[in-house]
Amino acid sequence: MSHHYIRFTDVHFSYPDGFEALRGVSFLLTHGERVALLGRNGAGKSTLLLLTNGLLLPSRGEVNIGDVPVGKKTLPIVRQSVGMVFQNPDDQLFMPTVEEDVAFGPLNMKLPPEEVERRVGMALDAVGASDLRKRSAMQLSGGQRRRVAIATVLSMEPSILVLDEPTSNLDFSARRDLIEVLKDFTHTQLIATHDLDMVRELCPRSIVIDKGRVVADGETTAILEDQKMLEILGIS
Amino acid sequence: MHMADALISTPVAITAGVAAAALLGVAGYKVNREKGVNSRIVPLMGVLGAFVFAAQMINFSIPGTGSSGHIIGGVLLAAFLGPWAAFLTIASVLIIQCLVFADGGLLALGCNIINMGAMTTLVAYPLIFRPMTRLSQSSGRLIAASIIACLVGIELGACMVTLETEISGVTALPTNSFLALMTGIHLAIGLGEGLATGAILAFVVKSRPDLLATSVEAAAATGTTTTHRNMKGVLIGFGIAALVLGGVLAFFASEYPDGLEWSIERLTGSTELVSTHADNVATTLEHVQRATSVMPDYDSSFSGIIGAVMVVILVWSITALLTSGRRHKPIKADIGQ
Amino acid sequence: MTKLEKAYITLQRMEMRHSASPSAVSPCMAVTVSVVYLAVMLSVPMGRLSMLLWFALYPIIASAWCGIGFGRIFLRSLYVVPLVALIALFNPICDRTVAFTISDVAISTGWLSFCSIIVRGLLAMQCILILIETCGFVGICRALRHMGVPAFLTDQLQFVYRYLSVLLLEALSMRRAREARGYGRKSYPIRLWGVMIGQLFLRAIDRSERINRAMQARGFTGTLPAYRSDGRQLRPADWIYGVVMCTGIVLLRIFNLSQLFTALQ
Repeated sequence: MSHHYIRFTDVHFSYPDGFEALRGVSFLLTHGERVALLGRNGAGKSTLLLLTNGLLLPSRGEVNIGDVPVGKKTLPIVRQSVGMVFQNPDDQLFMPTVEEDVAFGPLNMKLPPEEVERRVGMALDAVGASDLRKRSAMQLSGGQRRRVAIATVLSMEPSILVLDEPTSNLDFSARRDLIEVLKDFTHTQLIATHDLDMVRELCPRSIVIDKGRVVADGETTAILEDQKMLEILGIS
Repeated sequence: MHMADALISTPVAITAGVAAAALLGVAGYKVNREKGVNSRIVPLMGVLGAFVFAAQMINFSIPGTGSSGHIIGGVLLAAFLGPWAAFLTIASVLIIQCLVFADGGLLALGCNIINMGAMTTLVAYPLIFRPMTRLSQSSGRLIAASIIACLVGIELGACMVTLETEISGVTALPTNSFLALMTGIHLAIGLGEGLATGAILAFVVKSRPDLLATSVEAAAATGTTTTHRNMKGVLIGFGIAALVLGGVLAFFASEYPDGLEWSIERLTGSTELVSTHADNVATTLEHVQRATSVMPDYDSSFSGIIGAVMVVILVWSITALLTSGRRHKPIKADIGQ
Repeated sequence: MTKLEKAYITLQRMEMRHSASPSAVSPCMAVTVSVVYLAVMLSVPMGRLSMLLWFALYPIIASAWCGIGFGRIFLRSLYVVPLVALIALFNPICDRTVAFTISDVAISTGWLSFCSIIVRGLLAMQCILILIETCGFVGICRALRHMGVPAFLTDQLQFVYRYLSVLLLEALSMRRAREARGYGRKSYPIRLWGVMIGQLFLRAIDRSERINRAMQARGFTGTLPAYRSDGRQLRPADWIYGVVMCTGIVLLRIFNLSQLFTALQ
């Protein structure tokens, strides 16, 4: 069985206050794809991302991670397969030191100490942050925080990475480093972003959502040349 | 209101420390039980602790006076977290203030946790704030409840400060005048705290009425009276233990100002065997006793003080000379990293 | 510089100092010695200034041992003087019993206890400052956990500490935004203060919800897992430090060395 794909089937989601964030979203991400999720603020991007990890459960429709339907009972498997990187690394790095943050996921999975150790080393290595191991989040620069935040989910060895605005608030070189890091990954990736240059470079495919619906799903180059799409994104 | 170590004696500090630790234990038990059901309390308590700390750093002006004040935040936290989680949170803030910012003493931590934490979150909140806001949570009621609860909580804290200082025998000020002084000052502080707490509550409840602990409780109103009673029993038990311990320690402290003197006295006075069979030993011990405690409570000459000061200054100079070269290394290495 | 900025800078400076370098003395030992010192030092009777003064040796020797400049510690500890002097001042007023005379000037026990309180304040403060300078806050938390303090407390401490700088920064930017729009005063009218701190509170609540999500996403179940990092082990040097210091402190309490000088007279 493969955990490497995400399937949304007619997913609806309403918040308790009645706001309908998603109104029938369907798409399929297959193994190893790197897909950009585009849309204006409030279009429903963040809600959609939270649904992939079971942090929110759909009011109607179904989300599947591989063969597993996302539901209360499957949460441990789902959270192991989908690594979620949040927009603000300060919210993701809550432990006293970097290594403890990176070890947090594996330890919750009750892995043996040697395995935890191996994964911490591997994850920090993958984002080029091995030298930051003993630091505290307070001592890291914006770019370092972002990379460490990615390491905290890599250590769970997910097959899918979901990233929310990975390049926001980064300076040029930190942004460049981050893009290189993401390029090296073979995971299936879903990236919500406003950074169109990164999208052009990283993601062959894009999904555009507007007012809770998918309005376009296809090749990035085509979408970014479509006048109507650019209007929806508020660019022109 | 943070008490410094200088203002309390060891027995009082230890007694208050034991009492505070016991209360923290109960709080930990209560909160741990909640963590199993609702794990979001972990980051919530953490972030709200940091919030209270930051809020304490911004002053408000006390109406009608020219002065300004800041909040302690006990009742405020309890209003959102419930008494035990709020107590644990306030205690953690006090510990950090002591260790990171050297605000309040380390041995006095027990006293400070009781004075500023327990009195507001575990006394004023459940006995005043909660009953007053259980039925209605209108702005007016919230503000009134805040003012009364904060006033009572802070005055109780001030009374505790007086009590602790007096029992410690630190101040020569008579208890009555000290109490009058402390409660007088804290009347204004409590009023400010109450107004400020009310102002925040009124603002927050307007946009997020669901956040209040009383409304959470109302939503999940289930019979927890049995556990309540159990906890009360435990609390009373701990309270009595702390009182007894404090009494015993205070007794030793007043009767036998010096542990050694006490043990010598017991050795020489109580057992006949020692004094008859080992007369020499007894007289030597008595001699030692006399030498170490000519005036058990007060110095009777100036030379001893001068001598001590001279030696301290001498040692300081020596260590300063010895370490002046060595000291810079680790700091440089730190910056280099 | 306001309290907010000061607190933020203190925090940052402390973080930088304790980046990765292991402390000179193991935090467990440092905590133990500090508590022993405070308990013994504060048990000296108020009027025994001559005995109390000998306890000033500890901060000097401990800071030399740990490679901290005592001068800086001493200067920072002076901050406590006004706080304790406020209460200590009543002693010379209320207690006028004569303790001894220097030539013709009578020194009252009230003045003796006044000096005692100030010295106690200074020494206790120096002790805390040295502890935090050597171990750092996270080091102390780990030591406490190691010494059996339950995880619910140490976890909570670390959580608050972790988000202190974040929230201080948030409060700072909030206040600057207000100041930029013309509220040029140090304190705020209570209603405005309530709105401002209320907003800070709501943001804190939102943040805790986001952190909660980040924790949930990584399989959090209610207890923070303990990661066995290669912490600072007790070395022989730590034992020597602990034993030497504790014995010295207890001896100072038992034998009043000042008797030597009295005897000389």
